[in-house]
Amino acid sequence: MDVIKLYLHAMRMQIKSQTQYPLSFLMQTAAQLVMEGGEMLAVILLVDRFERMNRWEAGDLYFFFGLMAVTFYLTECFARGITGNFPYLIRTGQLDTFLARPRGILTQVICSAADPRRITCIAVGVVSLVIGCRMSAVQWTAGKALLMAEAILCGSCLIQGLFMIEAIFCIHSVKSVELVNALTYGGRSACEYPIDAFPRPLRILFTVVAPFALTLQLPGSVILGKPLYDWPAWTVYITPLSGVAVFGLIWLWFQGAMRFYRSTGS
Amino acid sequence: MKAYLSAFRLRRRLELQYRGAVLGGIICQMFFGLILIAVYRALYAGKPQTMPLREITSYVWLQQAFFRMLLASDPELLDKIRTGSIAYDLCRPLNLYGFYYARIMAQKLMGSLLRAAPMLVFAFLLPEGWGLMLPASAAGLAWSLAALILGLLCVSALENITMGFTMRTLDSRGMQAMLNMLLMIFAGNILPLTLFPDSWQPVIRLLPYAQLLDAPIRLYTGQVPPEAARGVLQLQTGWILLLIGLGILFWRQNQKRIVIQGG
Repeated sequence: MDVIKLYLHAMRMQIKSQTQYPLSFLMQTAAQLVMEGGEMLAVILLVDRFERMNRWEAGDLYFFFGLMAVTFYLTECFARGITGNFPYLIRTGQLDTFLARPRGILTQVICSAADPRRITCIAVGVVSLVIGCRMSAVQWTAGKALLMAEAILCGSCLIQGLFMIEAIFCIHSVKSVELVNALTYGGRSACEYPIDAFPRPLRILFTVVAPFALTLQLPGSVILGKPLYDWPAWTVYITPLSGVAVFGLIWLWFQGAMRFYRSTGS
Repeated sequence: MKAYLSAFRLRRRLELQYRGAVLGGIICQMFFGLILIAVYRALYAGKPQTMPLREITSYVWLQQAFFRMLLASDPELLDKIRTGSIAYDLCRPLNLYGFYYARIMAQKLMGSLLRAAPMLVFAFLLPEGWGLMLPASAAGLAWSLAALILGLLCVSALENITMGFTMRTLDSRGMQAMLNMLLMIFAGNILPLTLFPDSWQPVIRLLPYAQLLDAPIRLYTGQVPPEAARGVLQLQTGWILLLIGLGILFWRQNQKRIVIQGG
């Protein structure tokens, strides 16, 4: 409970400090709108030209795009500490100050940053989700709403976990850090579209290694009424937990790696 | 002229320093290319277009290979303005615009050549329907190379204009990000311009953004036949002259009102 209070307090401070220069903040927020708007424009233009992708119709495609955008940018907004500066903290030795404080590293890292500029990206995602639901005539039930919340939460855990890999590499000073982007940003770009568009190796990558298909897309497809796999109905509530599992495993890996942490600062 | 050449040479050598980081970047870029092509393939399977699939896959690979050319490349100027060390640049017996133009061009040229070579080899080796096609004709290849060089001149001029905004305010990240994003969209990086609606084509192909990579790629794939190449190159040259002219004026205006921060 104490941790949550601390986190909320940190978020309030972060957002306040980020909005100290309102004009600069507004411009950067608008830039984010252009960025995510551009991504959505691509989907709109593709739908305009091709109408459908396999068995997915226009509404379904907007829905999947929106689901990924909302999840990814909520994470970027409220867990910016992990998705942003974490490797930098290690490379510069700033992590030392965290080790000296009476709280867990993870708590402190998450509390160390927020990125409220992402609000426009989230908004684009929400608009896309709403359009998608309308066009695909989704019948909402309490179960589906719950499932959606679960998917977004678990998807967020997955994304945070994947971003942590880069921080772990930094401890061992492996330089090929950009490779991790293939999983994080690559996962986002790929899984904006339904997973069955991809060839087998990519499907395996995004189902088993970085399970975006299990955390986001399977629940999404069930909400749309066109399940991806013909598994029993109850499994859809279980599979998103794979995102939490990945987070847990990578967290354990990080804890192990911390034994090799050598401060670089002075 | 010699001074601008040596600024160009220095930047070029700097760009060649971190080869390990480049390798990671290349692999990442290839991965993104594969993802995009998989998506377009799935869409094509449902509704084939008049434009052959190999033209789309080639478009994606050429965009990915020369991605670095589009990327904003000189964050130093921002720092220089913020810390006041821009004063040193102002002391040089050089035109500031020309100095930065040479630097930016060197970085874009070396950055993209370094990445393009391995990526193009990889893309040629991929099977039909995934990879890069051979150029439509020898003349097409020659014209597209010429258009690529003009594209480089054009993108450097565009970036200098974007940087001009940095000098206006101390924090122009928003403005810069927005202009860079517009460039990415209308240069065909996020979605090939050939997949934009047919009714948009006459307009978006005239924009300066289409002169960077879209024009050379269309010449390469033969979508624009070699006979029409002269017109394309003229349009590119027109934009280059206009953008450089605007850039020089903009920078001169800025230099008059520049304030040196710090001491």
